[in-house]
Amino acid sequence: MNWTKKYPGWTMFGAMAGLLFFLWGVAIPLSAAPAPIGPAAQQFTEGARITVWLTLISGSVGVVLGILAGIGKLSKFMPLRLLCDFYVWLIRGTPLLLQILFVWLAVPSIMPTSISLSDFACAAIALSLNIGAYNTECVRAGILAVPHGQVEAAKALGLTPLQTFLDVVLPQSLRVALPALANNMASLVKDSSLAYVISVVELTMVGYRVQAESFQPIPVFLTIAAIYLILTTAFTTLTAALEARLDVGQKR
Amino acid sequence: MNSTPQPIIIARNVDKRFGSFYALRGVSASFSEGQVTAIVGPSGSGKSTFLRTLNRLETHDAGEIIIDGIELNDNLQHLDAIRREVGMVFQSFNLFSHLSILRNVALAPIRVRKMSRQDAEARAMALLERVGLKNQAHKYPVQLSGGQQQRVAIARALAMDPKVLLFDEPTSALDPEMVNEVLTVMRELAHTGITMLVVTHEMGFAREVADRVIFFDEGAILEDTTPQAFFSNPDHERAQAFLSQVRHGF
Repeated sequence: MNWTKKYPGWTMFGAMAGLLFFLWGVAIPLSAAPAPIGPAAQQFTEGARITVWLTLISGSVGVVLGILAGIGKLSKFMPLRLLCDFYVWLIRGTPLLLQILFVWLAVPSIMPTSISLSDFACAAIALSLNIGAYNTECVRAGILAVPHGQVEAAKALGLTPLQTFLDVVLPQSLRVALPALANNMASLVKDSSLAYVISVVELTMVGYRVQAESFQPIPVFLTIAAIYLILTTAFTTLTAALEARLDVGQKR
Repeated sequence: MNSTPQPIIIARNVDKRFGSFYALRGVSASFSEGQVTAIVGPSGSGKSTFLRTLNRLETHDAGEIIIDGIELNDNLQHLDAIRREVGMVFQSFNLFSHLSILRNVALAPIRVRKMSRQDAEARAMALLERVGLKNQAHKYPVQLSGGQQQRVAIARALAMDPKVLLFDEPTSALDPEMVNEVLTVMRELAHTGITMLVVTHEMGFAREVADRVIFFDEGAILEDTTPQAFFSNPDHERAQAFLSQVRHGF
């Protein structure tokens, strides 16, 4: 039994505190590093913050989208099922880069001119829609994994279909879906780097700019890679602890 | 005052098909309040299906079912009202695996009867004490033995204060040495005046506790009589053959 499984609450707290501490304090050791890293320490920190924001926002929206579309795909109402099937088919069948460019370039041309989306918002929308489609399949598989006897027991006790879903099916299906959702979340940390093509100044964009000014790609990209590794480690630790926390009453 | 008690469950000419297979063929039976009925028969004879039509886990294709004066049909209000009065205990327990024992028992009173969490948990605790599992209240189902899980399932059904309890082979999934602890709880229940329908292979239990035995074969009721008459002298050959197969052991 490892530490994460034994103390999931503390691990989650530790991972979150560590992430915040890192985002707040990483500029200090970076600024002590020799050029080209030291002078750009503040830029690296800003880039890491943008990457984390982008991940957290699109990750949260993506989970909600995944749950809604996952339920929709199992709905008895055919138009809703077709809509959700279409959504997953469309998003999984086209490149993420294209989706980001589409939201950035094509959507403003069909929207009223009074609404203008920032580059960051465009990236967040595209990433949310993208991860939402992948989450849909995880949630659907999770719902299908709940034994039918659980639903029968809830029905026999007089719970309404909504209560049955919220109290019995959803918690058990998320427990099954969580490892796959966590995997998608870890991918999202890295996929957010594609936002650089629509001039969102996230971590990869910072690295590209700094190496373009200094002509020293090796130290710059190694630093960027190290920061990504620290971020993904924090996210996977967090989700592993959450998994351990939900893992009550499971057979091993 | 009625001299004959009013039937709480009335089934008339109930049919149930699965594709072209007739699981129930024109089953009619009524059950009066407080009666304990053992439903026996070979596997595939329709006894579990009959039980499951009574709280609409299976919908019947023809005939009518009336429970406590309410007709069981597509009307969802009727269904809600009936499910509140009819509890069920399953062969495979079906405890909610993500909830503690206490929450398992308290969930339906909180959600369906709109009881406060505090009251529901206090009542759940009292019910767990009644089935001898008060000290397991904060564990999860997987940490309990089969017999303990089935006793929790009985407590969970009782938490809704049902007038009728349906038992669908409650001891069939249990190790032999755990059967008795569940039968003991059921025996105690039988004396409280709750209406019980028990699909079972425990002939000893049927003979000792039931007021009435119903024998199913091929989707129809073949015998409907007292335990004494059924076990000593069944009318039908099929029932005699069944009894001679299961008679060993009692």
